[in-house]
Amino acid sequence: MRRFELVTPGSVDDCLSALKGRGVEVKVLAGGTDLIAQLKVGMLKVAAVVDLSGVAELRVLEGDARRGFRIGAAVTARTLERDAKLRAALPSLSESGALVGSIQIRNLATLGGNICNAAPSADMAPPLLALDAEAVIAGAGGRRRVPMASFFKGVRQTVLGPDELLVEFAVPATGPKSGGAYLRHTPRRELDIAVVGVASQVSLADGVCTKVRIALAAVAPVPVRATAAEQALEGQPLTSQAIARAADLAVEAARPISDQRGSAEFRRHLVRILTRRTLTIALERATA
Amino acid sequence: MSTVMKTTRDVKGVGLSIPRPDGPEKVTGKVQYVADIQPKGLLHAQLLRSPHAHARIKRIDTSRAKELAGVRAVLTAADMPYLKKKAPTRAHAVLAIDRVVFAGQPVAAVAADELAIAEEALDLIDVEYEVLAAAVDPLESMKPGAPPVAEAGTEADTSEAQAHGSVSGVAAVAKPAKAVNISQQTTLARGDVAKGLAESDVVIEKTYRVPMVHQGYLEPHAVLAQWDTTGQLTLWASTQGSFNTRSEVADVLEIAENRIKVIPVECGGGFGGKIRALCEPVTAELARVTGRPVRYVMTRREELVAGMPAPQVIIKLKTGVQRDGTLMALDGEIIIESGAFSGAVLAVGAVFLASLYKWPAFEVRGFEVLTHKPSIAAYRAPVAPHTIYAIDSHMDQIADAIGQDPVAFRLRHVEREGEPMANNQPWASNAAYEVLERLAQHPSWKKRDEWKKSAPAGRLRGTGLSLGGWLGGLQPTSATVRLNPDGSLSVLTGQVDIAGTNIALAQIAATAYGVDIDRVKITTGDTDVAPMTGLSAGSKTVYTVGTAVLQAAQDARRQTLEIAAKELEAAVQDLEIEDGKVVVRGVPDKGVTIASIGKKGNLYMSKVPPVLGVANPAFTQQAPAFAGQLARIELDPDTGEVTLHEFVVAQDVGKAINPLACEGQMQGGAVQSLGIALTEGLMYDDKGRLMNPSLLDYRKLTAADLPNIECIIVEKPSPAGPFGARGVGEPPIVPAPAAIANAIEDAAGVRLTELPMTPERIALAIAAR
Ligand SMILES: Cc1cc2nc3c(=O)[nH]c(=O)nc-3n(C[C@H](O)[C@H](O)[C@H](O)COP(=O)(O)OP(=O)(O)OC[C@H]3O[C@@H](n4cnc5c(N)ncnc54)[C@H](O)[C@@H]3O)c2cc1C
Repeated sequence: MRRFELVTPGSVDDCLSALKGRGVEVKVLAGGTDLIAQLKVGMLKVAAVVDLSGVAELRVLEGDARRGFRIGAAVTARTLERDAKLRAALPSLSESGALVGSIQIRNLATLGGNICNAAPSADMAPPLLALDAEAVIAGAGGRRRVPMASFFKGVRQTVLGPDELLVEFAVPATGPKSGGAYLRHTPRRELDIAVVGVASQVSLADGVCTKVRIALAAVAPVPVRATAAEQALEGQPLTSQAIARAADLAVEAARPISDQRGSAEFRRHLVRILTRRTLTIALERATA
Repeated sequence: MSTVMKTTRDVKGVGLSIPRPDGPEKVTGKVQYVADIQPKGLLHAQLLRSPHAHARIKRIDTSRAKELAGVRAVLTAADMPYLKKKAPTRAHAVLAIDRVVFAGQPVAAVAADELAIAEEALDLIDVEYEVLAAAVDPLESMKPGAPPVAEAGTEADTSEAQAHGSVSGVAAVAKPAKAVNISQQTTLARGDVAKGLAESDVVIEKTYRVPMVHQGYLEPHAVLAQWDTTGQLTLWASTQGSFNTRSEVADVLEIAENRIKVIPVECGGGFGGKIRALCEPVTAELARVTGRPVRYVMTRREELVAGMPAPQVIIKLKTGVQRDGTLMALDGEIIIESGAFSGAVLAVGAVFLASLYKWPAFEVRGFEVLTHKPSIAAYRAPVAPHTIYAIDSHMDQIADAIGQDPVAFRLRHVEREGEPMANNQPWASNAAYEVLERLAQHPSWKKRDEWKKSAPAGRLRGTGLSLGGWLGGLQPTSATVRLNPDGSLSVLTGQVDIAGTNIALAQIAATAYGVDIDRVKITTGDTDVAPMTGLSAGSKTVYTVGTAVLQAAQDARRQTLEIAAKELEAAVQDLEIEDGKVVVRGVPDKGVTIASIGKKGNLYMSKVPPVLGVANPAFTQQAPAFAGQLARIELDPDTGEVTLHEFVVAQDVGKAINPLACEGQMQGGAVQSLGIALTEGLMYDDKGRLMNPSLLDYRKLTAADLPNIECIIVEKPSPAGPFGARGVGEPPIVPAPAAIANAIEDAAGVRLTELPMTPERIALAIAAR
């Protein structure tokens, strides 16, 4: 790894001043599980690194199913996995955290890092999309909120400006009869990156589906919603035929490439399988 | 590297299960590896590697790098005039001269005060390449007109075959004139294959492919080099054979071997990948020009991009049998892709393909093909997993086609002791038959129908097995056993302990001399002090070095008894060593302690010579060793995910010197074998660049993927090994690919002929069914 200056701010404002005017030559470090690996192989070269570990505000975690959640950017995957309230209310997000890397990685990896790194395969992105979450971003001119659906701009590209910091996520209330699930496929059980990931969130009233969100990872340059599949389900009872049809429609939202992790053909196949499975689990949870 | 053995039990040695004494130190990070050594004035090395698989180097400018503060040396091939263009091995291709032949080949080397500075210096080296067409696919590379890999006139390197190959009497055939990238070629044949196939009722033809895989040792290649003022070079090396490293470095640097001292530091695994020199010569040169100790440690990425993996092997196999199961003929072609430098073992594959089972007529053509990829090295039983994957997948398909039980079919045809191998040597004593029989008696094999029927909704279950092995390596070696003044023993060899073998050697010494094992200390000496010792490879450490230690301990015992005989005025044959004493049999109070004999060997004015047992055997008799493996799997037909429910290894170890260590080898080998079967494979793009240069995308299995691995030790003593021992290391890496392929076919009715058998390949095969 090449040499760099390490800055250790104690507040969001200190962070912003450390970032100000330095453009791409400075990067913030949360858990470092993406950043350090990129610095090590020379994919990124920076003059300075701003370490977020001293900024307590970024680790906020509060809320419940009724009010919704505030989840700080520096909340770790391990916390998403283990926090009982969050696990009960937002199972898809909790599951996505629980799948990341190994325990050692999960102790470091953060939600904000996963999202800002903006890998197409980021596991925590589909649940946030399916939950209609918003990113709260701090910059020189104050704070702004960006819906997750418009946060990603391309592979490793987001709406964040070089002087901005992601502070937290706002997850709206899911309502009483709502359930979610996240599944991914990896060739190996642990320590692997999603070939395809699918999050589904289902809300029910009187036996019909009032709202559904299906979000896909690793099948396009950015995490995407399968909106045609969603529309086909809304207002319908979630029969297994309806779910199977939605799974077929979800495949059309995927624009996968073939790479070292899987062929486009296999990825489309997996979108169908995992959409069906996550909808089925989400439905069970919504009815439970 | 030395270890004092401890046991609480009151037994002498051989046959005891003794845990590795270095285990706790290793798992708590206390063991010192090359990367941990911090001599004063240490410099750190980095290599600039080619991004192109094949390119002409038009210009290298190192001036900006040399100006960076903290940089002590920047080398290119031009600084090493003794480097030869027709480099016969990777070790000789220290830095590329004019042309790079694989992506990742070093073109320049830097030594600097800090690792980060050395890395930054790499960015400041300007190289101008003219990119050339690369030969990436071995089948294309075999054809006339393919972009040539080696310089015209480069000799094929067969030293690996000699070190590891274990098959004699196979002559290489001259290669076709225009196929520039075929570097070795052999044919083994017997009988009339065309006639045999014509007279067969069932002919099955398949092509099997196994990609390049990396050995995956935990510690990457690492070396520390330092010259003294008299021009002696010391290398602290992570190697499987310090004498071998010494020879190769001496050859490349053109200096006398006795000017080099190789200190074998604790080796964090090798599996064949640390036999040949790799980064030692260039590190030594950096140390020479800077006059400072220089250390080079490869990163994991460099290991994957530019290590020495196992070859890609493509096997075309066609067999014919009659309805009643009579074997008729086998026709095979083995294509071994060895990357940019020659060095593959060709004949082993042919022997396993054509003569594990009794094919009356066969022809197996073997080709070693060069491509613009990193050159290969051995990996635990080189080419055997590949060949057994082909033949034992085939055996199941044949049995299925003629409606016979796959085990009975194999048992009927497996070759036995004395029958001719494909190279016409008779099979030495082995337990291939017995191992298979033991596996067939396993409840999980007998209950395979129940297992299949028990699959939960949406899942499939299956069982498969396979038989594989290794012919057993040989290499001359030596050892000494010294009696100390307190009656303890010191055993000295140059054997690098990468598999817990030092415990086995101590057990052998203890039993052969007649003392308890905690009286034995074993030391791995450096190349200045240790007697000449062979490689830790080829499943031959206990078999050969164990024999040397056995003979040296017997020699020390004989000397001890002779000294005691004089003192006790008794005949040597009436003496016995008991509880640290030489006693006269039947006269319990007449004895002399071995400590007193040891003491007199180091007493001023004493006339008693010091006891020093010495042995330096060479060997002729191999001891083939076989393992059978059985897998019980469940698979998800939608995603192709395989869950291993049970895995059984039955293996003939001859005599389990240390049963616990044998089981460790059986389990470790099985894990690697399963990785080759299910997830591992270096993937290259069409320009010859590695697409998965990290352990996230190059998938070794983790504990979460593995079931408990049950070990069944079979003991059929080898005629020549110490206490009947056979090699244990290699057989268990061989059978899993075929066992898993057979289990998948049992579960899902699809036959996978390409490794790794990933979920994608399985799911798409099932979807296409
Ligand atoms: C062995 C291993 C296994 C892995 N497995 C998985 C997996 O299963 N699934 C998965 O999705 N990922 C996986 N990853 C990737 C990585 O762990 C995750 O993406 C993780 O969540 C990143 O979080 P971090 O805190 O470590 O991010 P960092 O590495 O600290 O940062 C990542 C990027 O985000 C930026 N950033 C971080 N925080 C902020 C902020 N608050 N505001 C603005 N920018 C910010 C950084 O500058 C950097 O560019 C794995 C990585 C490794 C090494």
